[in-house]
Amino acid sequence: MFLQLVISGISFGSLYALVALAMVIIYKTSEVPNFGQGEMSMLSTFVAYALLVTHSHSFIFSFIGALLFAAALGIFLEFVFLRRAKDPNILSLILITLGFQMMLYGLASWKWGADQRDLPFPVSDFDVINLGTAVISYLNIATILITLVLMFMLFLFFKYTKVGIAMKATQQNVMAARINGIRTNRILSLTWAMSSMIGAVAGILLAPIATLDPNLMLDPLLKGFAAAVLGGMTTLVGAALGGYMLGVIENLFGGYISLEFKSVVAFGIIVLVLCFKPSGLFAKHYVRKV
Amino acid sequence: MPTTYQFFNIENLSISFGGLMAVDKVGFVVEQGSIFSIIGPNGAGKTTIFNCISGLYRPDSGKINFSGEDIIGLKPHTIARLGIARTFQNIELFSRMTTMENLMLGRHIHMKTGIWSGATFYRRGSRAAQDEIKHREHVEEIIDLLDLQAARNQFVGGLPYGTQKLIELGRALALEPKLLLLDEPSAGMNSEEKQDLIFWIKDIQDELGVTILLIEHDMKLIMDISDRILAINFGKPIMEGTPAEVQKHPEVLKAYLGED
Amino acid sequence: MDMKRDYYEDIQLLDSRILWFWFIMLVASLAIFPFLAPNYYIYMANYMAIHVIVTVGLNILVGYTGQISLGHAGFFAIGAYGTVLSMTALHLPFPIALLAGAFIAAFFGFILGLPALRLEGPYLAIATLGFGMAITQVIGRWQVFGGRMGIEAPDLSIGSYILESDRQLYFLIVTVAFLLTLAARNLMKTRVGRAFIAIRDSDIAAETMGVNLTFYKTLAFAVSAFYAGIAGGLMAFLLGFINPSSFNFILSIYFLAFVIVGGLGSIFGSIMGGVFMTWLMLTLDKVQELPYLGSILITFSERWMNLTGLPNIASIIFGLIVVLLVVFEPLGLYGFWIRTKIYWKTWPF
Repeated sequence: MFLQLVISGISFGSLYALVALAMVIIYKTSEVPNFGQGEMSMLSTFVAYALLVTHSHSFIFSFIGALLFAAALGIFLEFVFLRRAKDPNILSLILITLGFQMMLYGLASWKWGADQRDLPFPVSDFDVINLGTAVISYLNIATILITLVLMFMLFLFFKYTKVGIAMKATQQNVMAARINGIRTNRILSLTWAMSSMIGAVAGILLAPIATLDPNLMLDPLLKGFAAAVLGGMTTLVGAALGGYMLGVIENLFGGYISLEFKSVVAFGIIVLVLCFKPSGLFAKHYVRKV
Repeated sequence: MPTTYQFFNIENLSISFGGLMAVDKVGFVVEQGSIFSIIGPNGAGKTTIFNCISGLYRPDSGKINFSGEDIIGLKPHTIARLGIARTFQNIELFSRMTTMENLMLGRHIHMKTGIWSGATFYRRGSRAAQDEIKHREHVEEIIDLLDLQAARNQFVGGLPYGTQKLIELGRALALEPKLLLLDEPSAGMNSEEKQDLIFWIKDIQDELGVTILLIEHDMKLIMDISDRILAINFGKPIMEGTPAEVQKHPEVLKAYLGED
Repeated sequence: MDMKRDYYEDIQLLDSRILWFWFIMLVASLAIFPFLAPNYYIYMANYMAIHVIVTVGLNILVGYTGQISLGHAGFFAIGAYGTVLSMTALHLPFPIALLAGAFIAAFFGFILGLPALRLEGPYLAIATLGFGMAITQVIGRWQVFGGRMGIEAPDLSIGSYILESDRQLYFLIVTVAFLLTLAARNLMKTRVGRAFIAIRDSDIAAETMGVNLTFYKTLAFAVSAFYAGIAGGLMAFLLGFINPSSFNFILSIYFLAFVIVGGLGSIFGSIMGGVFMTWLMLTLDKVQELPYLGSILITFSERWMNLTGLPNIASIIFGLIVVLLVVFEPLGLYGFWIRTKIYWKTWPF
């Protein structure tokens, strides 16, 4: 049972890790936790659904279509609202993303809210591989693999591409980056596009196991956010690790202690961790200068 | 062990940030009622000493004695209650409060209104109202002292820099401190304002009997009003003495004018 | 330069005869209103008054102390369940039960305030959010609280008076809202409120001036939770029935939206925010019944969207209002009010 719990924990953890990554990428650049993240993924997933089911396109076409939509949505929100904020302090930025959340949620519920749907996925959740005491479904394998590949691509992107390095520079010091000829506004748009696409992948991977409705991403968003906080909002690796840790711990708690309070445990952990390490497990603490 | 009672002294104060010694074995004694200045180039660790005194940083080693008590490890608000007030180098005013309210906050430790009496006052005679009126009178004296009448009911965020510096001074005075830490009070002031400032600092020392610890870059101002001066560089003390002595010290000249 | 004639003027509620006149008019119209208005509007007024209480309380925390809370629905729920259970299980009379519920909420606010001491911005947001989620989860899974099915509010009586109709409730709810709003306004004018605001503007300066951060930050949470608790307790009787899903995450965001729309750091703004947004919320609930606009929206929904999802348009509009206000008018309705006042004062220049 232990192995089984760990395996499905890692599978769920992958999704948390993706959401956490999406959050952290934006947090590092725009310095705001994006509460609209979940609804952005949810809406993108619905776009995939519309293309795939309503308009009967191929899966690949729908998948790419959803990603493009996600990118456009991210750029749109950043460009139209966030960038215009008159007094961009942390509270107002958080509120703007909460506003996105409400708008997108309302929009999706208006269009698709009536009933629950299934997103057909080319990989099955019911065909499994036997691993002795535990089983792992093809979908779980796909989820874990796709997440790992994405993370590896992100790593390469930040390490070796010019744009990735420019993005890192912008995250560290916007002014200095701008002086050195980086178009930080474009970088900002790109960051939102990237983050939104990562989120969309998480949504599309989640939809086959959950039911596709406007509440799809509510729980994963909070868990992903929690994972990011757990690992540290300022480190990509930390956020990803936080996601896996949270997935596994949560599953073990659900299996051995109480299934009832499974989703409460995440927040218990977060509050505890924050009490002792306010910047998360893997991030350096920052002291304000007077 | 000092045999005589000392008002304020620091012994062997050291603090480092990530391996960098910001303050390295600094020590000095401040006589009650005097003006003691700390000078040194930018980044010499002057403000860090202030932050240690007011409890914002916890030093790695050393002692800070105030009225016979070691204040290291005490919380900033406790230190304030003991009678140490300060101003900040980069103004830390309550920008969305009026001047009056800023100064009233300075009276915080002397006021008594709690949550219940504060929420439920309804007439002039209520306890909270009486408390307010009493302390407002005190604040009004400070406003008169520092010529802040024009700014009294204005939000401080939009006031000129020099005025904001004065309001910070006023807020610190409202606390009725025994020891007042001034972190570059004249920065951003024109020469006329500086003249007034010298006058006020003297007043605060003479009439209110407040002991002053001062960080300043304006040499003229420092030489004018200090009783003793400590020069530091790279966190280490260079020398301590009267203004005349410090002015002549070769190390100080070097630190200030560069090596020739 | 203006000379002060009297220090009391700075803190007194009404410092001119004209203000006294308007104040008395306000009280009188509040008192007459339930005898003239149709029942639905009394119900709406009750709803508004309850939301004003929450908004004022949340504004003390967010607008005045500068802390964020995404979990206020949790305190609201604690107040509601605390009040109802104190009456049904412990057989306390209503006024005591209401206070008990609010104090339990305040206690939880204090507990939540403890981690908040070390947390800022996004970290505080997630901690409070987690708290709110945890509360509804726990309530929904514990049979004592009626589980997912919820519980019914008992009969409401104060002394020998039994309050049944919305009109009778109106006098209770509006009085409580009125007193709590006054109390908040007073509190913000005196020492404790000043300490809150000081923490918001510069916590470092505040603590070096002798403000005990631990005490005042947790106090702000407790006071804010107390307000939410009272509001929750009253809400239980307005709705007559409570279940965990009435206190979800979305509600916490709505509360925050009320504060933003009214204006951060303004009691008067909180009143406007609570009243206006409640009106909008209740009106948009039945958006298809609106003249003209309703039929257009129905046609539009049938053609492009989905008719059953139409009420969700409230969420879109709320979100849009929040975003636009934060972007263009961070002071909210209160900012509009101030500008209109200045406009008329200086008119026609």
